[in-house]
Order: sequence, then C-alpha cells, then structure tokens
Amino acid sequence: MFMMQNAIQLLQDNLAIIAPLIVIQIILMVAALISLIRTEETNGPKWVWALVIVIFNTLGPIAYFIFGRRLDA
Amino acid sequence: MQWLTVFNKELLESWRNFKWIWVPLVFILLAITDPLTTYYLPQILEATGGLPEGATFEMPEPPPTEVFMMSVSQLNLIGVLIIALISMGTISGERKSGVAELILVKPIAYHSYVTAKWAAYTLLIWVSTFIALLASWYYVNLLFGEVSAGSFLRTVFFYGLWMTFILTISIFMNTFSKTAGLVLFFTIALVIALNLLSSVFAHVVEWSPALISSHLRNALISGELPSALWGSAGTAVLFSIILLAAAAYTLKHKEIS
Repeated sequence: MFMMQNAIQLLQDNLAIIAPLIVIQIILMVAALISLIRTEETNGPKWVWALVIVIFNTLGPIAYFIFGRRLDA
Repeated sequence: MQWLTVFNKELLESWRNFKWIWVPLVFILLAITDPLTTYYLPQILEATGGLPEGATFEMPEPPPTEVFMMSVSQLNLIGVLIIALISMGTISGERKSGVAELILVKPIAYHSYVTAKWAAYTLLIWVSTFIALLASWYYVNLLFGEVSAGSFLRTVFFYGLWMTFILTISIFMNTFSKTAGLVLFFTIALVIALNLLSSVFAHVVEWSPALISSHLRNALISGELPSALWGSAGTAVLFSIILLAAAAYTLKHKEIS
C-alpha cells in the first residue's frame, strides 16, 4: 500500500516529463487500431490482433504493423 | 520523370500503411526511454523497494553527452532491426506478387526503380532519426545538462549515414531473394558480422562504417571531429553507392518472375 502511494506520488510529481511518453503510446495504439479496422484481411484473426494491440503497449502495435498485415496486399 | 512517379508511389504507400506514423513514434520511444530511466533510477529503486533497509548508495550522475549516446546505442540495437523489418519486403514482396513485373514492363529503368524506393525509405529514416534524437536531446538538456546544438546536429548527420547504409544493405538483399524472411536474415547477419569484425579489428579498419557510433562517442566527449569519423562516413557513402548499383544490376540480370 505504501509502495503504491509512493509510485502514484512519483507519477504526479513528474507528469509533465512522463506525459509525452504516454501520449506517444496512445497514438501508436490508436493508429494501429484504425489501421486494423480499415484492412480487410490480416494474418490471423482480427480480434486477436485487437487484443494484442490493446493489451501489450508499444510492442503490440509494432508487432501488428510489422507482422499483422499481408505483405502482398 | 518516371523516377518521381515511383518515388511518389512509394511515399504514398508508406503513408497508407502508417509507416510515416509508427516508425517516427517508435524511434522517439526508443530514444527517450534511456534518458528517462537513467534519470528516475534512484526513485524507481526506492519505489519498488529493491534495496535492503538502510542501504544507501550514491548514484553517480552521468555526463549529459553520455546519456545522449545511450539513446544512440538504443537506436543502434532496435532501430536497426526495425529498419530491416520495414524494408524486408519492399522489392522482394513486389517481385513475389508480380507488382514489380507490372511496374518494370513500363519504361522505367531498373536503376530508377531501385533508387526511387531507396530514396523514399531514406527520407523516412532520416526524418525518424532526426525527430527521435531531437526528443532525446530535449530531455537530456532538461534533465541532465547541456549538450551543444552542434553536437546534436553532428550526431544526427553521421548517425543518419549509418542508418542509410543499413537500409542500402537491406535493399541490396531484396534483389537477391524473393523471401522477405531471408532478406531480413541476410541483412541482420551482415550487420552483425560487420559490427563484430569492426570492433575486433577496430585499429585495422578504422574507417569501417560500423564504427561511426563509437567515433561519434569520442567526438561528443572531446568536442572535436576525429578524422576517422569522416573516413567512416565516406566509406558508408561509397559502399551505399556501390550496393545500390549492384542491386540494380542483380535485379536486371535475374529473371524477374
């Protein structure tokens, strides 16, 4: 509990510095989701990719952009 | 102006499949992670309680240039992999699917097809590297201390050349194999071999392009440009030109289908 409070305190103190990091991750996620909705076919089921993009931050969207789309599409 | 046509088509394609959004963003993330974690390391250790009760140790504050170089080496590791991943299918995929045939029956020279594609990716990589290092530079100045604008621009310039060289290797491998996975494998293998050989024989091959980042570190610390850095940059440019010519040549002399 104490640790948790410390971490939250740390976040609040440094929001201005950390905010860009969070914003970038959100943009990545949204871009990946938009791209996912627009494509007709992906490698593997779409809903799995949607989960991967939302759950794994940063790595999920990157994995989708690199492996999720068909190269010849 | 068929060159411009292929170039524009390539830019449009990278835009449509979001490369122009995600590659710069990922580069920025890579570049700012290290300055941030270095800065917050004491607090992170404290908050997660990794230290035994009463243990205190002073974290030495790293010099700003050192932190800035951390970003560069981070880009060196994962950035290189990303460059190889985004370019692995650019020609090989088009040859496999037959798009390359469609393009090359038109009066488009092989060399303009190759160089236009190369130029489009080079633009993307330079823009991404510039933005990423700019973000890192901003954080380093904010959190650690001043790194001069000259050092920053120098780093972008020379590091961009190394990134371009890696891209050129990948484009060259693209004309060799139609399988994207093999292109990736050959590119990474060659880059790793280059890095290894250059660091083992660092004194013999002072002008190796793979040594650009280590020369850069010296340049940042001493504040002056060593001649070996120019040498490495020159070799990188020279080899890039040779590889591009070789790529156009192999593409022409291989049956396209």
